[in-house]
This record gives sequence, C-alpha cells and structure tokens, in this order.
Amino acid sequence: MTDKPYKNYFELMPAYLTILDRDLRIVQANKRFHEDFGDFEGRYCFQVNQHRSERCEHCPTERTFRDGLRHEVEEKFVNNMGHEIFLLINTTPITNEAGEITHVMKMGTDISELKILQDQLRNSRERYRKLFEEVPCYISIQDSDLRIVDANRRLREDFDATPGDKCHQIYMHRAEACVPCIVKQTFDDGQVHQTEEVMTSPKGEQVNVLVYAAPLRDTEGKISNVIEMSTNITQIRQLQSQLTSLGLIISSISHGIKGLLTSLDGGVYLVNTGLAKNDRARFEQGWKMVERNITRIRRMVLDLLYYAKDRVPELEKTLAPVLAEEVCEVMRGKATEMGIDFKCEFDSNAGEFDADPKAIRTLLINLVENAIDACRVDKKKKTHQVRIGLKGYSEYIKFEVEDNGIGMDQEIRERAFSLFFSSKRGSGTGLGLFISNKIAQAHGGEIKIDSELNKGTRMIVKLPRKHPVSETEAPKA
Amino acid sequence: MTAPKRILIVDDEQDIRTYLSTLLEDQGYQTVQARDGEEAMQKLLAESPDIITLDVSMPEKSGIKFFREIKTDDRWKHIPVIIVTGVSEDFKNFISSRHRVPAPEGFVSKPISREEILNLVSTLTR
Repeated sequence: MTDKPYKNYFELMPAYLTILDRDLRIVQANKRFHEDFGDFEGRYCFQVNQHRSERCEHCPTERTFRDGLRHEVEEKFVNNMGHEIFLLINTTPITNEAGEITHVMKMGTDISELKILQDQLRNSRERYRKLFEEVPCYISIQDSDLRIVDANRRLREDFDATPGDKCHQIYMHRAEACVPCIVKQTFDDGQVHQTEEVMTSPKGEQVNVLVYAAPLRDTEGKISNVIEMSTNITQIRQLQSQLTSLGLIISSISHGIKGLLTSLDGGVYLVNTGLAKNDRARFEQGWKMVERNITRIRRMVLDLLYYAKDRVPELEKTLAPVLAEEVCEVMRGKATEMGIDFKCEFDSNAGEFDADPKAIRTLLINLVENAIDACRVDKKKKTHQVRIGLKGYSEYIKFEVEDNGIGMDQEIRERAFSLFFSSKRGSGTGLGLFISNKIAQAHGGEIKIDSELNKGTRMIVKLPRKHPVSETEAPKA
Repeated sequence: MTAPKRILIVDDEQDIRTYLSTLLEDQGYQTVQARDGEEAMQKLLAESPDIITLDVSMPEKSGIKFFREIKTDDRWKHIPVIIVTGVSEDFKNFISSRHRVPAPEGFVSKPISREEILNLVSTLTR
C-alpha cells in the first residue's frame, strides 16, 4: 500500500491538520490549513496559528510530546485574513519504529458557530436567570421531597431560603408539610394548582400570598421539579380586612345603639309612668336610666369620632392628678351603684405631662368602665374593688386601673387591643380598648395588661412627660 | 281569679331588665330577672315561669345555648320564648343553629315596641 491515498485523506480532511516537530515547527499541513493560514514552512505553530512570538502557556502539543497521550483543548486561532476562529484541538503522537515520539499531529475542528450558539445560549440563560431573580414574587424550584433546589433573590433575602431547605420550614416554620400541599398535588397530577396562604417571615411579619405551582418536565416529559411562585397580596388583604372591619363596625354600632335606645326608651317609660302615677321613686329611677344612657351614647359617639378621624392629640401641659381626679369623680357613682368598692390612690405630686386631656380622659374612662364591667359579670367573688392609681416618675407618668373581676385568659389578653374584639359579647363594641391603645400610642406611651382569669386585671398606662414630637411627625406606617 | 302569669326576663343589661319588668308588671304580670343563660337556668328551676323573654348576646351562657337547652328538655320545652335582640345577624345564627329545635314562639327587635311585646306576651300566655 502506498502513502498516496493517506496523503489524499490528509489533504481533504474537513479540519486543520498540521504535523509539528519537537521545536513546535510545522513540518507539514493540509490544504485547508494552507489556504486559511498561508505559508508555514519552517515557522512555529504559535507564529502561524496565533500570530505570537512566544510559545503558548498551555500547549497541548508539548504535553503530548511529554506524556505520549492525546490531548483536547479549545484554542483561538487568527487566520491570514485576521479573523478569529474557535477550534477544538486534538493532539496525537506520531512515533518512529523505535516507539519514540518524533512528531505530533494537531487537528483543529472549527467550532466557531458552536461557540456563537453557546454564547447566545449563555446570554439567554443569563436573561432568564435575571428574570427569575428580579421578578417581584417569591419563586422556588422544588423536588419531590419539597426541598428547594433553587430560590430567587427575593425569596432568599426575605425568607433566608437556601437550597436544601424544605418549603414549609422556611414559609411556615413548621416541620410538617402543609395540608393540602399544592406542590405535591402538581407532582401527582401534573396540573397547575393555586392556593392562598399566610406565611411568616423570619422577622415575624405575616405575609399573605397567592401561590401557584406548575410542573417542570425533563426531556422525556416526566415531572422533574415543580416551580412554586408566591405573590405578596398582603396589602390587598389588609384593604379587604379594613372593608370588612367597616362592615363589622356598622353592624356592631347598630347593635350597640339599639341596646342603648332600648334602655333610653325604658328610662323614658319609667319617667312618664312615674309622673303619671305620682311615684317619685320610679320617676327617679327612670331619670337615672335616661342620664346613664345619654352618657353612654355620648361616649360611644366620641369613641367613634376618634376611630374615624384618626385624631392627632391636641397637647397641652396637663396636671396628672387633676385629670385623674376628674375621672374618679365621673366614675365613682357608677361603681358604687354596682356595689363596687372604688379607690383612688393618687400621688398628688405626680406633676405635669404633655397630654390631650380629653383623649386621656377617654382612655382612662374606657379602662375604668371595663374594670367595672369585669366586676359586674363576676359571680365568683362576694366583694369587688376597682382601684385607680397614679404615680409620677422622672420621665413618665403611670396610671393604673385595677380590678378583681373576671380577669382575662391569654387569648383575650392578646386580642384585647384589636379593633372590634370584645369579650363582652353583645354589650361591647370592640372599640374601647382599641381606641385607648391608639390614644396611648399617639402620646408616645403604651398600655400593658397584667391579668389572670378569675383573679382580676391591672391595666398599666405609661405616658411620657415630654411628648416625643419627632415620632408623631414621622409618617404613619 | 287566676294567678298572674310569671315572666322570666333574661338580658345582660340591667336597664333593659328594669324596663321590661316595669312595663310588664304594670300590665299585671309577675316578673323574674336573670342576667345571662346560667342565671336564667337557676331561675327556671326555682320560679317556674309561664313565658320567657330572652336576649341573644350575653356573657357567660348565650341566649342561643340557653334556648337550645330548654327546648330539648321535656320539663321546659312547652314554655314559650320571645327572643328580644338588637343584632339582626343573631337572628340568622339563631335560626341556622336550630337543628332539631323548634323555632322560638316570638321575635322582638330592639329598640322594642311596647305594643308588640305586650301583644305577644298576652297571646302566648293565654
């Protein structure tokens, strides 16, 4: 067999073929190489291929000379037109009869188009990644164990999500999966599922989310993962709850007013019939009912105004003992009528503080009314006491309203300041403590509840002497 | 002469109890008061009323619970009950919570009409 056919194959190969000696000089090259890279005789491969004057740092040919093995690398050549060409380089040792490597054959396959496609693919991947990262939703890719394989930036930042975490752990801080779990459902039936959840962020914030789960399939069409996307709809839900609250307040107010009107009507009946029968005791009883219920209606309207207007307190230097005394005078009659021992223990040197006296009076009266109610419905004790306390400290004023009525359990304590929460069933509007708390906050102060079921309650109101002006000027959250 | 009919008035508001008892006593009825379902149950045992006026929303035991208890007890289920309430929603809850309990014999909305309640009491005690 002659060398001629091989020579032909060598020439016609749709690749760049060169034979290099130990000095990396090109001793032979095929036609295609010759056409695209010009003269090579006696020149080094790096001069011809890369237009360089020194050897390349990682030379596959040198490695093949050294270890006798084939090597594959990607290299960038510059052809005689000055164009860059991306090549996949394969080096193969050529040995003599003694088995010594005398030359290396270097084959370069043009992969420029592949390279362009790869770049495009990378760019498009980056674009999708960016979309995945920056979209204003929480997105996670989960496996069938509900483990997070990938999480977008928002999910990582707001929920500290890292791959390997379980979905329910980071969203719900719970060891068990949700029931039902829409990711599981999607794994089971391949359908898109939707649900609404309330998640808790690591900061303890409640986040209302609308959650979608959709299948991700592999090339065989099998579901490999499920993508879960959660949109934060907290603001919408808050708005809805405000609207619901508005509905509730109307129904609650109308119930309250109906009760008050009935009592007022009763008072009028007693007054009229007392007059007609010349029964003074009945007349007086009726008149007290009228007075009492007019006061209650007035108070209710004031509370409502406070709620509706979100009033900014009209601050003035107020003497705390004078204010407390006024409240005691107003409430003493009601308490003694119910057979409740009513004590006012004031530190007469408690001094001044920045207050809206009308608002603080409303606050204290609300607390005292609650204390009296708590005693009124308590049948477990024979005698009841309500105590109003006042003490002055250097930075703040402390009011206390204490009773030995029915007390509160933990649930009632926790919900006591919520709007429309009333433990008094029909007889409360659920406004009083909500408004009292708002008043305390508007003064830069706070109300604390110390209460035990069946034992009694102590409400502690701390109000700063100097109103923290900067806080009130800050925009409301 | 027959003995006056005895009415049990159940409401957590003292003023409303005073009103109803004065109004009804003026018409010759005898009245007994209770401020919630629990006390009403004690009065039921002690006083054997002929008719009951019942508020729905009350602390301790609610009117609904009390109503269900007496209407499922052979000793008391014959006693007519007039619901006196200010919350229209409570009517709905009340009706939907009836289960196997018959409807109450009368409904009166707060603020009450004197004529309406007197007519109802008179009809139901006849």
